[in-house]
Amino acid sequence: MQWSVIFKKELLENWRNFKWIWVPIVFILFGIMDPITTYYMPKIIDAVGGLPEGAQINIPQPPPEQALLMSINEYSSLGVLMIVLITMGIISGEKKSGVAELILSRPVSFTNYITAKWASSILLILVSFITGMMFSWYYVNLLFGDLSLSQVFGAIFIYGFWLILVVSITMLISTLFKIPGLVGFISVLIVIFIHMLTSIFRHILTYSPANLSSYVSAYLYTGEMTADMWSTIFVTLIGIVLLLTSSIFILRNREI
Amino acid sequence: MLEELMQINWSLIAPIIVIQLILMIVAIIDLVRIEETNGPKWLWAIIIVFVNVLGPILYFILGRRQ
Amino acid sequence: MALLKVEQLTKSFEGKEVVKDLNFELETGKCVALLGPNGAGKTTTLRMLAGFSRPSRGTIQFDEDTLSKDIRQYIGYLPQFPVFHNWMTGKEFLVYAGQLSHMSKKEAEEHADRLLQRVGLSDAKKKRIGKYSGGMKQRLGIAQAMIHNPTLIMLDEPVSSLDPIGRREVLNLLTELKEEATILFSTHILRDAEEISDEILLLKDGQLIEHGSLDELSQLHHTARLELDFRSVPEDVREVLSHFDFIEHVNVQKNTVILMTAEGDRARKTILKLAAEKDWDLTRFELVRSNLEDLFMKAVNR
Repeated sequence: MQWSVIFKKELLENWRNFKWIWVPIVFILFGIMDPITTYYMPKIIDAVGGLPEGAQINIPQPPPEQALLMSINEYSSLGVLMIVLITMGIISGEKKSGVAELILSRPVSFTNYITAKWASSILLILVSFITGMMFSWYYVNLLFGDLSLSQVFGAIFIYGFWLILVVSITMLISTLFKIPGLVGFISVLIVIFIHMLTSIFRHILTYSPANLSSYVSAYLYTGEMTADMWSTIFVTLIGIVLLLTSSIFILRNREI
Repeated sequence: MLEELMQINWSLIAPIIVIQLILMIVAIIDLVRIEETNGPKWLWAIIIVFVNVLGPILYFILGRRQ
Repeated sequence: MALLKVEQLTKSFEGKEVVKDLNFELETGKCVALLGPNGAGKTTTLRMLAGFSRPSRGTIQFDEDTLSKDIRQYIGYLPQFPVFHNWMTGKEFLVYAGQLSHMSKKEAEEHADRLLQRVGLSDAKKKRIGKYSGGMKQRLGIAQAMIHNPTLIMLDEPVSSLDPIGRREVLNLLTELKEEATILFSTHILRDAEEISDEILLLKDGQLIEHGSLDELSQLHHTARLELDFRSVPEDVREVLSHFDFIEHVNVQKNTVILMTAEGDRARKTILKLAAEKDWDLTRFELVRSNLEDLFMKAVNR
């Protein structure tokens, strides 16, 4: 009951500030940017010209799997940045402005408060991500060749967990610090740090959530979900649960 | 040279233009309705209209004062 | 019956005690003013009572019926500078607040309409809060503190940021509210406390220096003020009056002499006798109960 009140309020807020329009659009743009520019690159180079007489432009067109992976790559850089930017104020913003005083002077359960806000962010991000991937898929099919819808959904399924983890990290940092800009900066650092750790200790950290993007690539080429993928998803899920419980714990024990 | 560019399949590009337009219109509507922005409103209006794609996105992230 | 009992309540920030060993009870149905100069620890005290801030020491105990429950259900709280979701309308915010306090949507909507009417925001209920004026926000703040029918309403400086008209509106509203709930409000303006409160908690440097009803307090201090008007003030009046040790302070103004005394009756008798003996041409003689202002100044400057 209380949970759904907070959840609905968050949805309404994201509708009134147009997040439900511009975030999906931004994700669409991120998704289709690379496939389109890659496809037109030879023609653009040719047209803009400057190439010496007789020089052959020979840029091979990538297979559809790789074209779709380009979109995933955009999401793992610009997409993650965008997610951090729109999530960073989720708790800290209300604390900083002072609305939290009015809200938390009511018998609001901290668990409801955190999880309802988390769920509404996740809904926005996942809907945007899925929309973006659908557009990407449409263009990949048109420009580079057939790719089955089930493959695209497999990729969305695997990579979605990474995006949920990013939201959860930002949310935890948002309960720790009051200044949204600082929250964003630290969250991005943490994501980069996870990537670095994972690439340095690749042989040990097989199940690191940062590997999800390479699992997406493996899945797209083989069409199979391996045990390693499932284990990584499981580890990611545990991470998400830990982050959420820590957020609740911190909010409960911090003075507002 | 330009002929080559003209051969670009406009049915592929059109959706992008439509999306950009929606983004710009939504940003302008929001800018008109909002009480206060970070920085002068007219500056944001210029950024939204003239900075392609990135302008409206920047406005939504940095310009809105919650 | 005590609604709230506070014992040894202390709060320190970085080793400095901002609130020290407060002990008091709030009686059900009373309107109590937490009075004190700026920086006396009023906000800190209210925030501890509202559950935002943990006491460094001491206990806050609510009526035993509420012991096992979330006490926030029974409290309506208005911070000094209330901030709302500016994108919501006034009514939407009240309904949201009510629902957070476990009211059903229908209940919350009905009550919100009644409250908006009462605080004079009916016409603005569909307007976004971002467009409200300061006074309107303050009134909405009071409405949100009442939406869930709390037994205790706590207001932090509810009138200090308002213009005279807004101030008057809010004070009238609080006077009405006294009938419905126990009220605890903080203020640094004595007049506001005097006007609507039954009891006063006087706070200075984090310590409770006085506590009681207005009558009790003035009796406790039993400082009386005597005002004498003369057609022309006798030259030796100051000298004569200063002989008596129960007269604390003599102030001679143009045609008026003001005396402060701890023993009003004795001073009255003595002076009337003197006036007869010395044939003073008194035009007015008044024994004024010490007003709170004197008390406030005395307590705060001590």
